[in-house]
Amino acid sequence: MKCENCGVNNATTHIKKVINGVVTEQYLCQSCYAKKGYGANSLAGMLASVFGDTTNEFLSPTAKKCDECGCTFSDIVNFGKVGCSKCYETFYDELLPYLKRIHSSITHVGKIPNRAPLSILDTKNELETLRSRLNDAVLKEEFEVAAELRDKIREIERKEDENE
Amino acid sequence: MSSWYTQCDNNDVIITSRIRLARNLSGVPFGTRLTDEQKKQINERVREAICDSNTPYAKTLKYIDMNDVPENECYAMMERHIISPEFAQNKENKAILISDDESICVMIGEEDHIRIQVLHSGLDLHKAYDIAERIDTFLGEKLNFAFSEKLGYLTECPTNLGTGLRASVMLHLPLLESTREISAIADSVSKIGFTVRGIYGESSESQASLYQLSNQITLGISEKDALKNLEAITTQIIDKELSLRETARGVALEDKVCRAYGILKNARIISSKEMMNLVSMIKLGVGMGIINIDNTLPMRILIECQPNMLMRKYGSLDAHERDVKRAQTIRTLLE
Repeated sequence: MKCENCGVNNATTHIKKVINGVVTEQYLCQSCYAKKGYGANSLAGMLASVFGDTTNEFLSPTAKKCDECGCTFSDIVNFGKVGCSKCYETFYDELLPYLKRIHSSITHVGKIPNRAPLSILDTKNELETLRSRLNDAVLKEEFEVAAELRDKIREIERKEDENE
Repeated sequence: MSSWYTQCDNNDVIITSRIRLARNLSGVPFGTRLTDEQKKQINERVREAICDSNTPYAKTLKYIDMNDVPENECYAMMERHIISPEFAQNKENKAILISDDESICVMIGEEDHIRIQVLHSGLDLHKAYDIAERIDTFLGEKLNFAFSEKLGYLTECPTNLGTGLRASVMLHLPLLESTREISAIADSVSKIGFTVRGIYGESSESQASLYQLSNQITLGISEKDALKNLEAITTQIIDKELSLRETARGVALEDKVCRAYGILKNARIISSKEMMNLVSMIKLGVGMGIINIDNTLPMRILIECQPNMLMRKYGSLDAHERDVKRAQTIRTLLE
């Protein structure tokens, strides 16, 4: 059975709604299911809503593969799980829209393992200290201090962006 | 030392605070793609890092190969909230490092290679986090964790990326449930990066009016802020529940609580579901000062009378035998 919404893909989901005793039924493909906002928490659903129907583009034999685990992006979509840590590098651009949707930002601001390179540790620590001082300043309503701290943070972030 | 559920102050709406940190070893595929051989190697690397170290961790954390744990015990651990349902359902080639009082459990071979869990009774998120964080720092020095400057700790599911921190509180919300306000709360917290679930985590239903509230966002927010936000929302939910309890106070509610107490004290056969509903009522009664019993009892009954917990104590039982043993255990506890 074809999807009732796009009429192109095969329907994979049957949705039955009862509103004030009125029953409506719909048969949808994975992509339209996600587009209509159902299953918003599933990775596969969300990826499908971001990328549209992923089954054609990413299933081709020439599709990019992760050197380390051999995973393709379509594996990640179908599985809802990433193959290995290298996949995050290989499919960074593909994953980005999804990461933006589930997290508040796409830059880590938390703990850094001691084994991380020193250059990361220095900037991250500085940024974290500044951000926490900024929070305190805002809470204490010391807005001049806050503005100064905000400018410093922006300056460091700008430098980081330039270095990338 | 005794487990968390024997020390709960049932006057409180909050039951437990839980911290879970997800970590993976660099250069090895994530959990689902591991071969049996790789799984065993990871178990061994983590075991070695802790057990062969000359630190207090080597003494406090005991290594258990899950292949050696009978299935019933494994589910009983899940019922005590020590391991996740996913971990219990597929225990092959998995392992844990666990403290005597079961408050610390490092799961090895979950979806992520390592999941450090700390479970405390009451509202104690920061202390629980400190303990988990120290174990993480210690392990991070011995093992090379998959980490990227931009994305933080790398995890099999992108929903855990960044801090890998899932902090959650278990709450008893009978009034928010009966007034159906809980669904509105679940809706609104989901918009600010939190989620409300049933007590056995992902996609489980609520039982005994117990709900888990946890953070969803792990990237772009520091551990400290995530905990602070969770704590703030928890406090608001608790206040709301308490104010609804005061509005509901009266003979009708007292009657419900005392009837539940009467059944629990006298029943000869009791199903798991009925037990959960009745314990929820007496827990509410204890919290509101309607009945006067040892306030650690409601959660003890609720956990000790779960199916696998009963079989752990009395051996293999069929459903009917369990219902009889359950009623008997409750009567003894409430005597």
